[in-house]
Amino acid sequence: MERAEVESRVKKVTAEVLGVEESVITSESRFVEDLGAESVQSLELVAAFEDEFDIEMEEDAALKVKTVGKAVDFIQKHLENK
Amino acid sequence: MDLIGGFIEKAKRLKKRIVFPEGMDERIQRTAERLSREGIAKPVLLGKKKDVLSAVEQRRIDLSGVEIIEPLDSPEMPRLVSLYCANRKGVKTGVAERLLKKDIIFGGMMLTAGMVDVMIAGAASTTASVIQASALTVGYKPGISTPSSFFIMVLPDGRILFYADCAVNIDPDFKQLAEIGVTTANSFAKIMGQQPKVAFLSFSSKGSATHPLVEKVQKAVCAAKEMAEGTVMLDGEFQVDTALVEAVAKKKLKEPSSVAGQANVLIFPDLNSGNIAYKLTQYLAGAGAFGPVLQGFAKPVSDLSRGAKVEDIVGISAITSCLT
Repeated sequence: MERAEVESRVKKVTAEVLGVEESVITSESRFVEDLGAESVQSLELVAAFEDEFDIEMEEDAALKVKTVGKAVDFIQKHLENK
Repeated sequence: MDLIGGFIEKAKRLKKRIVFPEGMDERIQRTAERLSREGIAKPVLLGKKKDVLSAVEQRRIDLSGVEIIEPLDSPEMPRLVSLYCANRKGVKTGVAERLLKKDIIFGGMMLTAGMVDVMIAGAASTTASVIQASALTVGYKPGISTPSSFFIMVLPDGRILFYADCAVNIDPDFKQLAEIGVTTANSFAKIMGQQPKVAFLSFSSKGSATHPLVEKVQKAVCAAKEMAEGTVMLDGEFQVDTALVEAVAKKKLKEPSSVAGQANVLIFPDLNSGNIAYKLTQYLAGAGAFGPVLQGFAKPVSDLSRGAKVEDIVGISAITSCLT
């Protein structure tokens, strides 16, 4: 999958789960500080990414990812290994 | 009878169903064996049935009376997934299905659905993940936005005090502090069956010092009084000697207080003071410290320290049963 496509789907899912406008989300956006994610939502966000891309991510490692751009990298790595 | 012995006797009468999501953990298996054998509670273990059974066989643990549920195989899964989606608006079925595959989330949903009365986890996971899973599944009590915790401190002379919050909230604002006070009062009443007298602590007694840190506690007392609507005896801000010693309270306070000098619930202004105080009481005064017991969730959930022994987990099971 092209990086651009992964990025656009990551933004769509982030917007849905966190209830923010997709247009405000950039690669640099931090889930907690910029997009207002509460700690409880981070578990749902990880599950939503897994569902969107049909992958399994290691939870502790996934929860350490802080920005949208880093989430794209993280997910792309999983897609390559699929 | 010692305090925990008393809770165990009470728990035996209540016979609550307790779900343990960490069914593979040896200490959990040994706790389940004891709870079931002694009739303290009805334990339910989560995990891969085959793995749990072969582990207990190797460890010579008798789980004959204990229910083991494998979430992925459970006929309840679809019902719990739709309940999750109904409670957490906007979460897609596929996402809920993935979350429910985690034993701790499945356990939380069993509690939400009323299939069990208590959830106890944390033998192999962090406090933060127990709190997150509980917040997503059982949610908070009405009017509560902050989960917190308390310790039951048993002094050598037999006196029992509740300390909060010594484990979860690092720097609560005044509203959170008020919630912690009212929630701990309710926990005290439920567990001890006595009237709680809640003191909000500071380095000032009723305005003897002026500082933003004192002001936070003063605002918390006002907010807590509003929240409790006269149902709970609470007061402050007090120095800890004013809260505990009648003679000091008489000397330091101009107006009478129903709490000062006789407090049995101590609310600390932040985690620095709370955590230090409980350990000082434990190690210098030789008090027993039981907890942290989580509170503020809509149903009873308890965290375990990762170093918890079977004896501790049995005690926490009994205490948490009394919170239902």
